[in-house]
Formats: sequence, structure tokens, C-alpha cells
Amino acid sequence: MQNKLSLYIVISLLLLIGLAIVSLYMGVYEFESSFSEIISSFFVQDSDVSQTDQYVFLDIRLSRIVMAILIGSALAVSGTCLQGMFKNPLATPDLIGITAGASLFAAIAIVLGAYIKPYIPEAMHFSLLSIAAFVGSFITMSLVYRISTSNGKTNVVMMLLSGVAVTALGFAVMGLLIYISKEEQLRDLTFWNLGSLGGASWTKNGILLAVILLSYYFLIGKGKTLNAMMLGERDAMHLGIPVERTKKQIVLFTALLVGTSVAFAGTIGFVGLIIPYILRLIFKSNYYIILPLSAVLGSVLLLGADTISRTVVAPSEIPIGILTAFMGAPIFIAILLKQKRSL
Amino acid sequence: MLKGQNISYAHQGFKILSEIDFSAQKGKMIAIVGPNGAGKSTLLSVLSNELEKFDNILFKEKTFKEWHKGELSQHKAKFSQQYNSDIPLLVADVTLMGRYPYFENKPSEDDLKAVEKAMKETDVFHLKDRDYNTLSGGEKQRVHLARVLAQLDNDIQNKLIFLDEPLNNLDIYHQYKILENIKKFTQKGNTAILVLHDLNLTARFSDEVFLMKGGKVVANDAPLNIFTKEIITEVYNFPCTIFENPVDKKPMIFFGT
Repeated sequence: MQNKLSLYIVISLLLLIGLAIVSLYMGVYEFESSFSEIISSFFVQDSDVSQTDQYVFLDIRLSRIVMAILIGSALAVSGTCLQGMFKNPLATPDLIGITAGASLFAAIAIVLGAYIKPYIPEAMHFSLLSIAAFVGSFITMSLVYRISTSNGKTNVVMMLLSGVAVTALGFAVMGLLIYISKEEQLRDLTFWNLGSLGGASWTKNGILLAVILLSYYFLIGKGKTLNAMMLGERDAMHLGIPVERTKKQIVLFTALLVGTSVAFAGTIGFVGLIIPYILRLIFKSNYYIILPLSAVLGSVLLLGADTISRTVVAPSEIPIGILTAFMGAPIFIAILLKQKRSL
Repeated sequence: MLKGQNISYAHQGFKILSEIDFSAQKGKMIAIVGPNGAGKSTLLSVLSNELEKFDNILFKEKTFKEWHKGELSQHKAKFSQQYNSDIPLLVADVTLMGRYPYFENKPSEDDLKAVEKAMKETDVFHLKDRDYNTLSGGEKQRVHLARVLAQLDNDIQNKLIFLDEPLNNLDIYHQYKILENIKKFTQKGNTAILVLHDLNLTARFSDEVFLMKGGKVVANDAPLNIFTKEIITEVYNFPCTIFENPVDKKPMIFFGT
């Protein structure tokens, strides 16, 4: 099975590329020129491709597709890593409250941003939102892990309930913020709650890519480590696995991934639940295979969902969070039924 | 080879081990025995560096802190009494974890051979493509024993294996098979430290016994010198009679009056 990993990766990458090409064609605007003409027009001077074609292709469709790929991957990988650390398939950023923590801090940053800005260095103004979201997810994650885990064993009920508690707090603060916020801020806040890739831009994609590359450098090779941690933390230690260091890295980098995703696209739920669940059906819990594969298939899922969300009721959009919840909620129930005895 | 002096350990104000001196020579099969709550498993935990804070234990003349973690896992391994019974993987993949200290991404030919050999030694090779979660308790235990044996399958001299009650759940055939394999392992110059409950098996297989009670080592010697009517009756608080085993002349303990 270990040898076939690269084959699976290649197949899912091909699937992703195919989907991306299809997605480029989908939309209300019909291109006047063909794709090859548009692409070459960026490199050749004086071509006869219209500026609208160029703009829609690069700044609207492609930037959104790239953002879907990046965020889908980030959410699926953070879900898989968290499940490895908590040793439970229900540990995903949204169910244990990390997404709520991130959007809570992001919301605070939106509404109170104007008051905070004079006190922080100028260079940080632009990324205030993502930093706030990261801080929020990091605090929540540390808190939830502290509450629900003792001696390396996770109490699943405590884990889910602390998620519920953080999410409830998030709702309360969000309600308060909506009450006191001005109209412009209100629009931003609604966007967090529903989740959307509509705000895609190349600057955001650049930041996302940097965050993802850094996090994956530490996380993506953790397959063997997460497998060994299924033995129990002491037994993993006897295999030379640096358990404590691994857990710290997972907390830090999944907080970074989730925080950045939430800052740019709001709360898109269930991606970190759906992908590992499907992969587990095929490959069992072999993290050596499902961790790298979830990085690609998370992109496939979110890109597919986003393409549907912006084409079904065009020119309007269905919020993407609704689509992922439709897929994710039945899986949540399926996992609960399966774990009925152990919960 | 392994030396610990004046080991004391308390947990939540409760004294579990007090002032234990322990040393293990190479090539020896050493059994730790004693009644429930004597501190046997805790002593094994401490000796195998699970608590990571004892500087008074020397393994091959070095404290565990001085060892490189990855290297250490090729010199010593431990079989734990409480293993996870829910690991959604194939039996072969669970056993392969024993080779994790040896490969980065892809197991080598040698790794796969070591896994196969270990699985045959504990009699689980025919289960290799089964779901680990569908096995019985005794079978799961043998899978973990295979994993631990595979971990120490290398050319390093004088390795050390810790086994915490490796015979629980096993039938007679497998109890003997496991002990014979461990005996063979020690005859190559390696050391095994086991927590055992069956005193007759201890007498037959071990070279040296640590008899514990109430967090202290009551006696440490060859089984022949320790397994006397007086010592065993007192430590276990239960009457017994000692015979000579007709097969190998080792002591044989009959409990009851």
C-alpha cells in the first residue's frame, strides 16, 4: 500500500486540474477569445484579446479557483492532523470550536479595528484580520486540548462540549457586535458567518500560499508519527517519536491554517470532517496515506462546491458553507452512530 | 548494562517505589514478580524511561538524556500491558510500526523481512491482512509483541527489551512460545526484563528474579534461592509448598495447603 501513494496523489492531482479547467469555463460571463489566446495575451504585447476577458480570467475566475484550492487543502489537512492528535474522527476545526474562535477574534478585529489600529505598528494594519483570526484559533485550540485531554487520552464528550461552549460564546459576542456595528461592518460580519470565496484576490492567495507552504513543511510528513500515536503516547515514545514536540507543532500550524482560512473566507464548515472520513473508508486510518491525500482532495471538494455555489443560481450565489454542511452533517451523524458504543 | 541506584517515585503524594537499587547484566532474562500493588509496572516504567526524569539510571553507561532519541529506540523497546485495542489498521501495518525507527518514508526489504520474521515468531503471520480491530485480545497482544520484536531486529549488540506482563490473555502454547523466543533473544547477549505473575514459568525461564512488595525489593537472586516456602508464603501472604520440578530440577510452587 505504501508504494502506491504517489499513484494516488497523481490521480487526484489530475482530477483537481480537470476540475479547475471545467470551473474556468463556468460562469455568467462568456469569454470572447479561447483560453489559449487569453493566456498568451498576458505574455505578448498588443494582442486583440479584450481587457474584460483578461480581467475575468485572471482576477475573477482564476484567483477564486486558486483560493478554493488553497483553502480546501488547508482545511482538510488541519482536520486530518487534529484527528490524529485527538485520536478521534470527530476532531475537526469546526466541531471543536476552533473556527468559531477564529471568527470571533476576526469579528472583534472588524468592529474594534478602528480603535485598535493607532496602537499597533503600521505594517500590521493590513494583516490585522488574519493575525486576529490566528490568535483566536490558537487560544481556542490550546484551551480545548487542555480541557479535554489528560495523560494523553482524549475525553471525546469533553472535546465536543468545549467546542459547543466556544461556539456559543462566539454566537453571543457576534450578536453583540452585530448590534453595535455600523452598516458597512455588518456586511463584513454576515460574510464571516456564511463563508464565501467571493473576496478572492492574488494578495490573499499569496499570503495563503506562504502560510500553507510553511505549515506543510512541518505537518505533511507526520503520517508515520500520527500512526504511531494511535498506539498510545508512551508506546509511540518507545519508537523514538517526539510526541510532545509533534503535538505542539500540530496545535501551532493547524491554528495558523484555520486562522488564515477563516480570515479570508469566513467559516466554511465540515471540509476537515468529510475528506478524512472518505479516505478512512478506503485506506483505514493509515495517516501515511490519508494525510498527503487529504491535502489534494480537500482542494477537489472545495473547488467543486464553490463551482456549484456560483453557477446553480447564477448570477446569484449560494453561500458555500451551506453546501459543505449539506455534505458534512450526514457524515457527522454517520460517525456518531458508529461511535455510539464508545461515547 | 542497565543500572539504577536509589530509585524512589511518588505519585500524588503516594509513595510507589522507595529506594530501589536495580542492575541488569547482559544476556540475562530477569523477572520482576510480586503481589498486586507492589510497584512492578511502575518500576518497569521508570527503568524504561517513560517518565523521563530519572538521572540516576544508566543504560550502557549513559543516562537516557545523553542518548539520542532515535538511536535509543534501536537499543531498547518495551511491550506495554495496556495497549490500544482500537487501531483501525491492518495487522501488517501495526507490526510495521516497530520498524519506524529504521526508515523515513518507504520500508526497505530488510524492514519487511524483520516484520515477517517477528510475526512468525509470535504466530500472527497468518493474520497479516486482517483488520487489527477484529482480532481477539490474545491475538492483538501477539501483534504488539511482534511489533516490539521487529523493533529490535538489528545488528546492535546487547539490546534491552522490557515486557510488562506479556503472557496475559495468552494460551499455554503461546505463553511457552513467547518465553522461548525471549530466552533465545537473551542467549544472544541481549537482556530482557519482564513483569510476570506465574511463578512456575518464572522459575523455569528466568535467570534472575526481583521479588517486590510494597514498593521495595524484598529479594534479588536466582529463582532457586528465592522460591523457598518461607519467602513466598510471607510475601504473597498465602501458604505454599515447593517441589523440585521433575523435568528440569527447577523449583515448582504449589499454592494452598
